[in-house]
Amino acid sequence: MEGAADSDTPVPERSAADRAAALARLLHRDCTRLLELYKEREDFLSQHAPGGERLVTLALCPEAPSTAEQVGHVRSALRRCMELLECLIVREVEEMGEELQGEYESLRKTVKDRLGHLLHSTGALLENGEGGCPPSPPMQCIQGQDEVEASDSFAAKIWTYKVLLELIHWTDSASQTLHVFHTEKHGQQQQQQLL
Amino acid sequence: MQGWVTLALLLSLGVGCSLGQNGVGELPVPRGLTLNPDLPAQTLSLTWQSDSSLFDLEIFHTELMNVVLNETVAVKTDPVTGLHSWTWHSPLPLECTSHSAHIRARNQQSVSQWSPLQTIPGWDIPEKSESNMFPQDKVVPVGSNMTFCCIVKEKEDFKEIMYGRQEMSATRLSRRTYAITATNQPVSGNTGTNVICCSQRLTLTGAVVFVGYPPGDEGLVCETRDLASAECSWKKGRDTGLRMRRSRTKYTLNGRDCLEANERKRWWCSSKAWEQSWTLVARNPLGTVHLMDSAQLTDRVHLLAPVNVTAVEVKAWSATLQWSWSVAAYKKLEMVCQLQLFAHELNSTRNYSGPGLSSVVLESLWPDVDYTVTLYCGSKHGFWKWGDKSAPYRIHTKMDRPDALDVWMWMDSSNTGCVFWKPLSVRKSHGALVGYEVSQSSAEEDGWTPVSLPPGNFSYPIILNNGSDITVAVAARNPAGLSQPSTVTTPAYRADSQLSMSELLSTNGSFVLSWQPNANASSGYAVEWVPTGCSGLCPVDWKKVPESDSSFTLNSDSLVAGVRYTVSVYALSTGAPTLLQRWQGYSQEMTPSQSVRELLPNQSGSDVLLSWKATAMENQRGFIRGYTIYLANAAHLELIANISDPEVQSYRVKGLSLSSYKFVVKAYTSAGEDAGATVAIKMEMDTADMLFVGILVPLGIMFCCLILISICCYKKREWVKKAFYPEIPGPKVPGDWSSPQGPLDVKPSPHSLVHIVESPEWDFTKEGLFPVPEEEEESENDNIEVDADSDEPALLRYYNQVVGDGSHGNQVSDSSGSSNTSVDSTQTEITYAGIQSPTSSQGACGGGGYRPQMQSVIGPAEPQIEFEADFQDDGLHAGYKPQCSWQLDSPEAENFSGSLGSPTSVTSSQFLIPESSEEKPQPSNTWFHNFLSGKS
Repeated sequence: MEGAADSDTPVPERSAADRAAALARLLHRDCTRLLELYKEREDFLSQHAPGGERLVTLALCPEAPSTAEQVGHVRSALRRCMELLECLIVREVEEMGEELQGEYESLRKTVKDRLGHLLHSTGALLENGEGGCPPSPPMQCIQGQDEVEASDSFAAKIWTYKVLLELIHWTDSASQTLHVFHTEKHGQQQQQQLL
Repeated sequence: MQGWVTLALLLSLGVGCSLGQNGVGELPVPRGLTLNPDLPAQTLSLTWQSDSSLFDLEIFHTELMNVVLNETVAVKTDPVTGLHSWTWHSPLPLECTSHSAHIRARNQQSVSQWSPLQTIPGWDIPEKSESNMFPQDKVVPVGSNMTFCCIVKEKEDFKEIMYGRQEMSATRLSRRTYAITATNQPVSGNTGTNVICCSQRLTLTGAVVFVGYPPGDEGLVCETRDLASAECSWKKGRDTGLRMRRSRTKYTLNGRDCLEANERKRWWCSSKAWEQSWTLVARNPLGTVHLMDSAQLTDRVHLLAPVNVTAVEVKAWSATLQWSWSVAAYKKLEMVCQLQLFAHELNSTRNYSGPGLSSVVLESLWPDVDYTVTLYCGSKHGFWKWGDKSAPYRIHTKMDRPDALDVWMWMDSSNTGCVFWKPLSVRKSHGALVGYEVSQSSAEEDGWTPVSLPPGNFSYPIILNNGSDITVAVAARNPAGLSQPSTVTTPAYRADSQLSMSELLSTNGSFVLSWQPNANASSGYAVEWVPTGCSGLCPVDWKKVPESDSSFTLNSDSLVAGVRYTVSVYALSTGAPTLLQRWQGYSQEMTPSQSVRELLPNQSGSDVLLSWKATAMENQRGFIRGYTIYLANAAHLELIANISDPEVQSYRVKGLSLSSYKFVVKAYTSAGEDAGATVAIKMEMDTADMLFVGILVPLGIMFCCLILISICCYKKREWVKKAFYPEIPGPKVPGDWSSPQGPLDVKPSPHSLVHIVESPEWDFTKEGLFPVPEEEEESENDNIEVDADSDEPALLRYYNQVVGDGSHGNQVSDSSGSSNTSVDSTQTEITYAGIQSPTSSQGACGGGGYRPQMQSVIGPAEPQIEFEADFQDDGLHAGYKPQCSWQLDSPEAENFSGSLGSPTSVTSSQFLIPESSEEKPQPSNTWFHNFLSGKS
């Protein structure tokens, strides 16, 4: 995998921001593939896109003038995504059991693990909690059910689809923001070395 | 007055009765109609009060007032509540749209007024503006029909409803409600079947339906593994197709939840105590199954696998095996155990029994064999089933001395033979053999002479020195020791020719042998078979037969088709084997692989005697039953004889005419003919005919030809004369040759041409050649035209005439002047311009040019010197030199004719300079032209 090469190839003096950006890119590809697999299972999603509101927004967060603050905002969104993903896994395992172990289930676990690593990496980048948009209130999984506005299976499928869309969106945002963050940090370090 | 009042009352009552029976309004309208919907069940209960028992019901889809039910029902009053109640099952979810109902009482043909409409609102009312689909998450059996409705969001358009991937035809029920009906639904996938309601731009809403089967579990069986608890298992049966947790099958065993099945999806349940009867209930939303079983504990013992299996004592022929049990209660259980021994071609199963069996002695093992042991046990009393198998355990038995060898001796002559023995199988070798020991003894020698042979040997040659019998003992050796020796004494050699052998016919490729029992066969009989005529290392095989038998079937497995075998039966005793009978036969006859040999035709008059020889025995591949003779025509073979006696190896074909014939001779066995040998013969006449045809006829033809030629020559005699005896023209001498010539001014000619000029006189005083001016070449060529172009016979005749004249008295008489004579005789002077320089020509043969004229003037005393010079020059120059050698050879030659006709003859200018013929007009052309044109 190209993404694996990005993250696994030892690059001398590679910065933490660069590694986090690479991990975000890899995670973005994983999430995209996860949605493809979900669409293969629920083929109606390929033909008709459901409408509705976003599950994760930063509407309440203040403007983030600096890149570090933007990273903090993205991290907040990713934390919410992580909560949604964990809720999704609990629901699906509860409904379907654990005997189904296909590519979708395997990749779903991989995304969860890598998302945890990305949250840890971005947390380490923000030394003073800068860019601290207050994280969303802790989401109970039962609240996740409330998100779908109904408890029926079809609503749960739509909700799962939306969670995967949010994962794709915010991992993409994370990769871009972390790349900018890395570039700025790198530039600052070079200027300090020149001085 | 009272009478009118009474009449009016009666009339009013009569009219009222009649109206009550036939008109409207007489029956009381049902009161208090209420609608109670059961949404999940899609049922609508109607209750009302009325004194009647027969009612008309009507139910509508309120918005469009479509009647969905119009039925007359008989409903009695509930004695407890005093209400009438009736339930309607709606094919459509009641949420889909508002439903209204009213009711009226009926008494035969009279009905009451309709009760006021009662309505239950659907989800398509304006207050509920969102999109919805019903029913949600329904679980239905495979093959059922189902109606789904889609309530479209306010101000949203409707496009279609999809059932799975199938676009369905929708029916409009209200302003916002559309419905489809899925019929004969197939089983769903893992996450159910999606039903989607779509607008033009997005998915509005949807539902999931789970289509599957009721539980199909069967075959409940309970058993105990530890003689206390119970384990009940069953077969899952048909897959319900319902994967979601809410619709999975739930199991209870004797009323207790079966955690193993419900949580781990294993098709068994455990119970801590044994019960006499067991009931398993399997239930899912589509149905329930009850499975029953009952048994005594002792009848359902299923033992666990033995553990710690070990071999405590391993010998060559036996081993002791021990194991232990993980359940203490087994020690008192009367059990039966089964051991499976696996080895190469030595598999076996053995049974042992005893209380709490934990050790057995394995007898009848084979030495030096790898065994793999697997063990399992069961309850002996009320045997239920074999317990679990133990892990495989490997045992390798020790080696033992080999068994005695099967030995046989085969004599291929009166004093030579070979001892054979058969290789020992794994069962008989008891360990890898390291060699054989062969000992022999004879009457003349005391003791045994042992010889050790490597393990790959299976024969040993025997030579009888003085014809006395030899006894040979052969034993096999392995690391455990030496086998018992097997002895055999040389049988008396009996050549095939000394015996009257019978032909042995095979039966399905096998030989069925039988012989007269022999009293001397104290040790039985030996049947020996070997390819007939074999010598050297022959594949001798044998089989020893007990004394009681006098028959043996030699199977086709040990015989090769198309090979003739000599089969002998010997009587075995303490001494030498005695030959009882001998046969020859083929297990399967085949056509000969080669044709007859030395097929020769021999003509005798008009007959042809064909003779041949039979092919070698190894090529016969069957008993030769005879020969067939064919005459080969262009396309087929014509059978002309069938010789059924194989000893007859010739045939006379009679009465053949003079022509070419091709005969094919084929030998045949019972399997058919061979490819055939072919011989061709051309029939010729006998001597008298040959004399006539060969001599007289050609002579006659020759005479006829001569006569014709003579006649032709006579008639064309003029032409013949001119062609073969032309007039010889007289010499033409240009210029005045009477006066002596002065010294020559020789200059080289630019051309390598030979100029022949007629010279009436030859001046011997002149040395060198006479040069001729170039201007004279043409005229001189004209002069010599006849000579140069004469054909050889003419030239010879012409030459003879000239020589015979002897007109030149100045010729030298000695042989050295022969060249001069030759030149002179032609009265020509030959000039070679350009061949050599006239000045250098004085050097005679030293130059590479032409030199005979110079030699002609050299004195006869110098030939040897001239020869040596010439000889040396031969190696240096490639010029023309034959006259040099001729000069050497010719001094003693008196007869000129010896050089006549030779290319070296100076006289023949045509031979010397053939190039000139190309430059000059050739008279021969004229002659030839005349000949062709027929001119005389």
